[in-house]
Amino acid sequence: MELNILHLYPDVMSLYGEHANITVLRRHLETLGVTVNVRVLHADDAPDFAGAGLIYMGAGTERTQKFVLQRLAGQGPALRAATDRGAVVLFTGSAMEMLGASVTDAAGKVWPALGVAGFTTVETEKRAPGDVIACSDLTDSPVVGFMNKCSLTRGVTAPLFDRLTLGFGNDAELGPEGWRDGNILATHITGPLLVKNPDLLDWLIRRLAELNGWDLPEALPSLPHERDAYAVTLRELQGRVK
Amino acid sequence: MDKLRFYLALWLAKLSRPVLKLTRHKGTSFPGELALRICPAFLQYIHMPEQIIAVTGSNGKTSTVAMIAAILTAAGRDVVYNKEGSNQTEGVATLLLSNCSLAGKMRGDVLLLESDERYTKFTFKWFHPTHYVITNLYRDQLTRNGHPEWVYDAIRPSIHPETHLVLNADDPLVASFAQGHDPEKVTWFGLEETLSSSTEHHGIYHDGGRCPLCHGRMDYSCYHYAHIGHYKCSVCGYSRPDPDFAGTYLDLKNGKLTVNGRVDLRLAFRRIYNIYNVLAAWAVCTLVGVDEQSIAATISSYALKNGRTIRFTLGAHKGTLLISKHENSVAYDTNLAHIQALNEPCEVMIIVDAISRRYFTGETSWLWDIDFDRLAVPHVKRIWLCGKYVNDLAMRFDYTGVDPEKIVLRESLSQATEELKAQGDLPLYATTCFSDRDKLLALVQREKEV
Repeated sequence: MELNILHLYPDVMSLYGEHANITVLRRHLETLGVTVNVRVLHADDAPDFAGAGLIYMGAGTERTQKFVLQRLAGQGPALRAATDRGAVVLFTGSAMEMLGASVTDAAGKVWPALGVAGFTTVETEKRAPGDVIACSDLTDSPVVGFMNKCSLTRGVTAPLFDRLTLGFGNDAELGPEGWRDGNILATHITGPLLVKNPDLLDWLIRRLAELNGWDLPEALPSLPHERDAYAVTLRELQGRVK
Repeated sequence: MDKLRFYLALWLAKLSRPVLKLTRHKGTSFPGELALRICPAFLQYIHMPEQIIAVTGSNGKTSTVAMIAAILTAAGRDVVYNKEGSNQTEGVATLLLSNCSLAGKMRGDVLLLESDERYTKFTFKWFHPTHYVITNLYRDQLTRNGHPEWVYDAIRPSIHPETHLVLNADDPLVASFAQGHDPEKVTWFGLEETLSSSTEHHGIYHDGGRCPLCHGRMDYSCYHYAHIGHYKCSVCGYSRPDPDFAGTYLDLKNGKLTVNGRVDLRLAFRRIYNIYNVLAAWAVCTLVGVDEQSIAATISSYALKNGRTIRFTLGAHKGTLLISKHENSVAYDTNLAHIQALNEPCEVMIIVDAISRRYFTGETSWLWDIDFDRLAVPHVKRIWLCGKYVNDLAMRFDYTGVDPEKIVLRESLSQATEELKAQGDLPLYATTCFSDRDKLLALVQREKEV
């Protein structure tokens, strides 16, 4: 059992502690006996998805996102090809926007994006940061997190989360959030999403196991404090829901 | 008509002050809020003192303002400033109307303003500072600030072409405020390579790693802390300007600082960020005409009164409370570096209970940006993790090199302090935010401040 993780541009796309997603996923996989290799592409490195079983990118600033968009120009088909051969793609925070057709910045300039999905994103002058509770059929328990966006994403045909009970979705308060197409998962939730949501982490591990033919135990081991931390955050956030 | 509205706003707001005092609502920004509601252009009509100094940035605003006030006051200037740090537009309006005549003329020679980095463009829409100090830009309270570049963009429109900028040369993002500004109207402060600087970057992330102008790779010849240091872009050549006011020698351990190679200072504080506050205050006070000897005398006798270091006792433990702002990994890292550099066996307590005192959030991702590995040293004997988010803290520590045997988890702070009271006598270093500070102080014997 082995997994090659490709972490894209964390030196400019890990604004809210997103690097922890990889750290914690790695430990879980290693606990299960999976050999994990992490390859990091830095801002000066040309994109190369070869051999990756999981491709991850986190949130950046509006400017670093455009910088990476230029770096990734024309790479949409290569990314799609990687998923066709069994890779999982997880883009969180403003990295999600890059999967769409374009990102229009607050000054009105249109930046072509990867075009893996048809949705488009328009940046706004206002930021709408806020805590999030998100529901989907991936996990029985809701996903908790934080969003720190200044954009609206429209034209998502298949959201990752059907609805939010707290927070701002793709283009509306409490609306659908993120995007999913098979093994490509995208959400604007920032930060250590997998760290804060043990069930979502387990879902991802099972998905990786299916794709890679790993033999995993019925019940996945949970590491200390994770579920208690999740319970406290969920309780606190639910206390904010009117 | 507008002027009439202004007077109406001023008088009503002034009248509201004794009423608020009677109803025990003293100290709020209500008068300013009222004035701005009646007359949105209120700030424009106040007759200002000749010199207006503003201070903004992520960290060090309150300390820098307090130091500038002390220097100017000692030099015989009549300074009006926002002591309590009510630094948003309403707070500034309250300060001004409380210190002006019924005709709208302010008292004092100098108006000194701490300005919240997000509100500065609203405050300085109506008047502009003659001197504008920008301290630094870090990842700070990102749940409301977005990120440092977002804060940069928020500050940018508050800079008037006539304003004299006083900038931190060692912070590449802050230094880029000088782009497009008249170079005659920019003064730089910074720190030269010293005993405590390093050629290696320390920290979980590196926000100075890419050039703020072209995103090219930045090369640093030295770091003072986080991304503060001597940098040059490998692509466009953007580099640290030579400071006009430079710390040329620094011995943090013994509190010695030399400015511009000729003035030696003895300092009461030992933290690197305080050095930048000194240099910023030095620079701006010189610009407004205070002489070097007078500045040096005030700083040398200046006790840091901003409450960042509080001493207490808990049973047989001598305690030190180091205030680290939650959601601010740089503040945590500098305090952890302080503990790491101690020569004595000690215990450490970290409390994350309420993430903010001003707003609600359950956001704890900033814990992953703090370099807790600094506590993986033999002299730190035990680490107490406390507060509502104790599990998030514990999980974070599971990914450090800290020996798990040293970690004690207590969600209840009172339980932790009871246990500490009953056992041990090692010095205790507690670190937490303003939001959780009083919860600890209520449970310990606070020492009188000297």
